[in-house]
Amino acid sequence: MARDYDHLFKLLIIGDSGVGKSSLLLRFADNTFTGSYITTIGVDFKIKTVTIDGQKVKLQIWDTAGQERFRTITSTYYRGTHGVVIVYDVTNGETFANVKRWLHEIDQNCEVVNRVLVGNKNDTPDRKVVLTEDAQRFADTMNIKLFETSAKDNINVEDMFMSITRLVLRSKLEMRERQNDQKDVVNLREKKKSSKKSKCC
Amino acid sequence: MIPAVMSSRIRENVKHFFECFCEVVPPADDKDAWIIQQYPDKYKDQEVLKSVPKFAYPYKFENTVIQHYSFVLTDLESKWTFGFCRHDPKSETAIVVLSYLPWHQSFYKFLDTTAVLMHSSRTEDLSEFLATVYTTKIAEPGKKIVVAFNRGQSTFSFDIPRPFQLPSIPENRNLTEYYNAVDTNNMMIIFASMLYERRIIFISKHLKRLSACVQSANDVIYPMIWQHIYIPVLPQSLVDYLSAPMPFLIGVPEDIFKTVSQNEIGDVVILDADNNKVHTPFDDLNSLPQDVIAALRKQLRNKSAVLGDGVSRAFLRALVQLIGGYRDALKFTPGQKVTFDSGRFIETRPVNLQPFLREMLNLQIFQQFIEERLTMLNTGRGFSDEFEFELENYSAKSGSKLKQQYKEWASTMRKEGTAFFKSVKDKANPAMKSAVKTVKDGGKGMKSAYKGLRSKLKEGQMNQDQPHNTKPRSAPNSPTGKRKILSGFTVPVATYKKDASLAIKSANLQRSYSPLSPGSQPLTPDMLDSPRSGSPIDFPRIDLMNEMQDLLKLRLADGNPAVDRSLKPVRSLENFNKNPLSSPTSPERWPTPRPSLPHSSVLFPSHTYRDTQTLLQSPLGDAFMSPPHVPPRRQSHDFFANSKPFVVGGGHNENGDPLFFVSNRNMVDVVKLTPPVQASPGRRKQNDETEDLIRLDSTSDLDDFDPLKTPSSNSSYSTPTHEPPLSISNPLYNSSYENHEIRSNGVNSFSRQDQDLLQDYGLHFNFGTAPQGSDQSKFESFSSSNRVNVQGQWTKFD
Repeated sequence: MARDYDHLFKLLIIGDSGVGKSSLLLRFADNTFTGSYITTIGVDFKIKTVTIDGQKVKLQIWDTAGQERFRTITSTYYRGTHGVVIVYDVTNGETFANVKRWLHEIDQNCEVVNRVLVGNKNDTPDRKVVLTEDAQRFADTMNIKLFETSAKDNINVEDMFMSITRLVLRSKLEMRERQNDQKDVVNLREKKKSSKKSKCC
Repeated sequence: MIPAVMSSRIRENVKHFFECFCEVVPPADDKDAWIIQQYPDKYKDQEVLKSVPKFAYPYKFENTVIQHYSFVLTDLESKWTFGFCRHDPKSETAIVVLSYLPWHQSFYKFLDTTAVLMHSSRTEDLSEFLATVYTTKIAEPGKKIVVAFNRGQSTFSFDIPRPFQLPSIPENRNLTEYYNAVDTNNMMIIFASMLYERRIIFISKHLKRLSACVQSANDVIYPMIWQHIYIPVLPQSLVDYLSAPMPFLIGVPEDIFKTVSQNEIGDVVILDADNNKVHTPFDDLNSLPQDVIAALRKQLRNKSAVLGDGVSRAFLRALVQLIGGYRDALKFTPGQKVTFDSGRFIETRPVNLQPFLREMLNLQIFQQFIEERLTMLNTGRGFSDEFEFELENYSAKSGSKLKQQYKEWASTMRKEGTAFFKSVKDKANPAMKSAVKTVKDGGKGMKSAYKGLRSKLKEGQMNQDQPHNTKPRSAPNSPTGKRKILSGFTVPVATYKKDASLAIKSANLQRSYSPLSPGSQPLTPDMLDSPRSGSPIDFPRIDLMNEMQDLLKLRLADGNPAVDRSLKPVRSLENFNKNPLSSPTSPERWPTPRPSLPHSSVLFPSHTYRDTQTLLQSPLGDAFMSPPHVPPRRQSHDFFANSKPFVVGGGHNENGDPLFFVSNRNMVDVVKLTPPVQASPGRRKQNDETEDLIRLDSTSDLDDFDPLKTPSSNSSYSTPTHEPPLSISNPLYNSSYENHEIRSNGVNSFSRQDQDLLQDYGLHFNFGTAPQGSDQSKFESFSSSNRVNVQGQWTKFD
């Protein structure tokens, strides 16, 4: 089957309900006409195809319902994804606290997951409670890029999604190089056994 | 802040037995399925209402038998809404009831009652019945609810399940279906896959099997609950969701699965429930601690423990061994909440368990289990469910020490009057509270029947709570009828029958659409002409016959008798196979209705046929059986009043595996007792090699980057197909939480003719003539003695 893209990446968007995950997806996605199923099957996804360095990248961005019920989001949840978009609401400190806890967890459990931190609803300065400096300091310690966005006013949304896509693409290309280097010496049976330990996400 | 109890995905404090009842018209060439009427009208969740037709007709399937299945919707908070669905080949529409309660058997019974009332000549019957049930309060767990209808002449009753009751075979229809379709080794592989939170797909041709297997797979990981995407029946339009990168448990109708490119979905575990095969790229079962697996395998092999909760308990015990040690990791600090120390959880376990337990900490289902336990403790509910119960059987010593610790901690909390303790306790779910009570009372208190309610209901409930609403509301694409509308009902569509685009009329069809609103007339002349058999209400054509056809088709397809003929259960069995209704190769295409068969074409005398209805529709029997057929034999009149299931017949299948017919008052079922069959080692090896060859070719492919594609080998566990799946089912499913002790109190309709009928079908009661007490004791000693044996084989904690 002919593919209309060079790469397919699956991203996950996480954050409390109400931080504007759906709006971010809607703002970014191509297939807004498909409707949302998050309220009926607890999961939703949107698609967008972008071009980076001449390569066509098809993005699937996935969202699930009720993540705020998890004190920790465990590594099995991220296992199949290429990248994670972690969203809080700049007007709601609790959502930032949740995000911090989750990020620590990802950091502990997963060696390689591409991720960005997103402070959404950055359109009403009066109501902003999570200061940019605090969020930036946290992002720096986690070694993660911070974007403050507004899905409503379409601020920074595109940049943010492009940034995570670049990250994922880069790690994919790096991984391919590593694979090519090792190609001749890989013993498949050995690989099979060892893969389990090294792989987390 | 973290909300209190969020691990459960079942809603607490549910007010109504059901949320909404819908009648759904199937899709036609140019339009999707749609809801033609609903009750109550005030149910307005548009997203859910939009989804119901999709799930009621998940794909174009041919409906040859009355079929019940359930689907699950998940809301924004990740809580589940269950949709129970009934398809009748004689009806042009499907009926669906939405509820927050997972009480499968009660809802299938409810749908059957509703289906009968939809054919009632008195159109108020249906609306009154729905209104009465809707306004009836959900009583305490263990109580029985009795609702009178048909102007007080009939009753619909159901038991409020006791919490923490393990699913039993055969009462729990889901588990029985799962156990019959899937051998225990494959059940264990699925169990292991769930413990690794894989992406898991079940496929089947049969919606009822699909939904039953998915829901049972979740039931057997109790006390954990699947926290991820959970779609027991996936509609065609949502097929793209199979590419979700997160863990999921999804039931996919086989026809839909055929359209899916497996390349696109990546590494998934696939259970083919029709062929009892598992394909998994993982080696999860062998990655679990092997002593636990060996013990589980041994218990599941124990055929005498199959009836009852033996299967559920075997899995529960495996989980007790795996995660019961959480107790040692609890920290009780006076004045503070109980906490869980994950380091201690690992350290205190035997060395051989530690590697797996470390991985366990990375599971969402385990984390939520811990959260739930902590919530139970911190709200004063203590150690009070079936899991803790089993844990104490397993390791009594640590239990008493811990309970002492907890008691001291709790009393400190109380003395100090710590505010949080009080407040959370008040919020505790009444079901939980009463469960604590149940455990304390040894469950005795729950067995008393709910006296007086029935008469109360008759007097008071018919006209309650029906707000006046005269605004008619039109169903999509249809003009509003001018008929009188009962307040609170959606206006049904009078022109539905005449809508040519639907093209689902057939002169032979009996009246298939009955509006909810009273006062409406039968809609077409052919319906007026249709025979009424002198009875005001037609019996639904259920189910035993057709369901048995399913079984017999499978078992007899190759000419091998399913059942040893020397054991008698044979008379007229072959006839089922010839029943034209069941022909799988029927040229007729859905949704064109098949003409309904005149009674004479059914292969049984009509009174026998009716008796079948009584057999399966016993709660309705009194009202609609007139005059009752009086059978000659009377000696075992109370035979089915016995609430325990018992074996009514048995034999062997072609492999010599034992096979039992098991019955209780409401149903007859077949339980096969098959040893778990191991995948042949030779075959697996071969697969490994094949896989390696493929991998050599594809190493450089960019697609290898896909994290869903693990580099591990693609082994296939498949049981040799000499054991085709076997199932019989009927509408009366038991939910896993359901109280299966069906009392005859109040409803006394399962009469001796049913026993004769069973004998007609060759289901002889081996113990039938013995006094009922001894039946029961025989059955119980049969399983409990086994339980004792098994316990002795357990390794202890510490």
